[in-house]
Amino acid sequence: MSETKKSILLSIGLLFVFIIIGELITGDGARNKQNMTEYEKLMGMGETQAHVPGPIEVFKLAVKELSNPFYDNGPNDKGIGTQLFFSILRVMAGYFLSVIIAIPIGFLIGMSPLFYKALQPYIQILKPISPLAWMPLALFVIKDSIMSSIFVIFICSIWPMLINTAFGVMSVKKDFLNVGKTLEMSNVKMAFTIILPAALPTIFTGLRISMGISWLVIVAAEMLVGGTGIGYYVWNEWNNLDLASVVFSILMIGIVGMFLDSMISFISKYFNYQE
Amino acid sequence: MTDNFLKVKNISKSYPSKDGKSFVTIYENVNFSIEKGEFICLIGHSGCGKSTILNNLAGLDLVSGGSIKMLNEEVKKTSLDRGVIFQNHSILPWLTVLKNVTMAIACRFKDMSKADIESRAIYFLKMVNLEDHIYKKPSELSGGMKQRVGIARAFAIEPSLLLMDEPFGALDALTRGKLQDKLVEICDKTKQTTFMITHDIDEAILLSDKILLMSDGPEARVAEMVIVDIPKPRNRAEIVNHPAYYVVRNYLVDFLVNQSSKISKKLKEGTLSDSDFPIEVDPLKLKYDLENNIINP
Repeated sequence: MSETKKSILLSIGLLFVFIIIGELITGDGARNKQNMTEYEKLMGMGETQAHVPGPIEVFKLAVKELSNPFYDNGPNDKGIGTQLFFSILRVMAGYFLSVIIAIPIGFLIGMSPLFYKALQPYIQILKPISPLAWMPLALFVIKDSIMSSIFVIFICSIWPMLINTAFGVMSVKKDFLNVGKTLEMSNVKMAFTIILPAALPTIFTGLRISMGISWLVIVAAEMLVGGTGIGYYVWNEWNNLDLASVVFSILMIGIVGMFLDSMISFISKYFNYQE
Repeated sequence: MTDNFLKVKNISKSYPSKDGKSFVTIYENVNFSIEKGEFICLIGHSGCGKSTILNNLAGLDLVSGGSIKMLNEEVKKTSLDRGVIFQNHSILPWLTVLKNVTMAIACRFKDMSKADIESRAIYFLKMVNLEDHIYKKPSELSGGMKQRVGIARAFAIEPSLLLMDEPFGALDALTRGKLQDKLVEICDKTKQTTFMITHDIDEAILLSDKILLMSDGPEARVAEMVIVDIPKPRNRAEIVNHPAYYVVRNYLVDFLVNQSSKISKKLKEGTLSDSDFPIEVDPLKLKYDLENNIINP
């Protein structure tokens, strides 16, 4: 058996182990399954204690949610697809905004030691600030919760891009630059035909890190600003004490995050080169 | 006196030492000239400043003093008239073999059509026997093949002067031999004016009209200019039978092993003076003269 086949089998085996353990350690909400009278239901006399949902319960919910993911029954009841769509939209908006700004500035920093030294202290101070710390200021200045969450994504994804672009540009091999010089390339031509392709793999590393951080931060940001989005959805279901939905949305956050990451790494394959 | 194709006059290179108080001189008082169609090799020990001289000639790095004039024009920056083949091939790894060459041609011949650029690139890639590999990426090629791409790229832009920095230094002996043959063949055909740095004495004798010998650094000098009086076209198998071959070879080995380290001492003692450099030597004639007591050692 090949290594890949073995690994797939092992993965599936582990999945079953997790499901079995999950079923064993979680309650099944037995009280909810009993036939309750109309009165009991109205009085909320189901379970006295909420329970962590087992894998099967979550799976049933997932099937139900995913079979109709884009419904919209008002602000408090939207499909998981709708919520994820809003979150992805915000991440994309903030992310592309920072691509537009970080890559040119990163280029400038990488090409000019003067700018590198001048901007270094600002980058070092701004970089470690938790993106959510910007939220109050953003809300006050922008006066719009959606735009504020986009700003938070922008501010958290800009640093890895900026630093990786600058680093990639700085570490372009001198030999490659010499090739350009001996071919009498102008600075602009050099930037696009030598420096950019040489630095692209490093730039893409930055893009990938940024995408990961953006997806981490959007959940937290939406918990704060509310309204729509997967972060809001998680918090809302917590307030509803619907733990099956909470577990389900946690899984969905993971799956979408994996998808976003593999998207970037798929694109980056076209720009990677081997020496 | 006619003007030389390339005239190097009194050049020196120094840079501030780490504490910034003094200067370290890599080489100084270097004089030589290259005529059109000549093949010149520069030999010297590692670290004596050979590559620095080549970078100065290319315009990648500027001299601290003196002047380098090509066709009466001061070398101040890089130029497409001076092609460079780098030691580590410097093929751009994200481009295919063909694109690496077409990119260079497009820089040199700005009005050439795309089809012409491509056919020119293929012509020069054929010259180095890479016609079957033009759509490959450099990572799929062996070291020798990469270096051949570098050679094709340099010849394709038809530089007036070709500069080579130990082009075969990183290759195994067999590949090196094959590429040397290729280079002999191409240079015979194109009459390319070439300045080459090498560590390999046999390579230098096979290819050069004149060999410049550099003394040890710091404060290195181009001390001697050895004439290789063996008719061209040459051939690796037959050149060893020429009477001049071993005479020149022994002379070069003697210089590198015994003489090159003593030159700075002799300069201090005053037994040699900078105005003598480079001393022109024809080892075969020297041997004849010595054997017949025309001069005393």
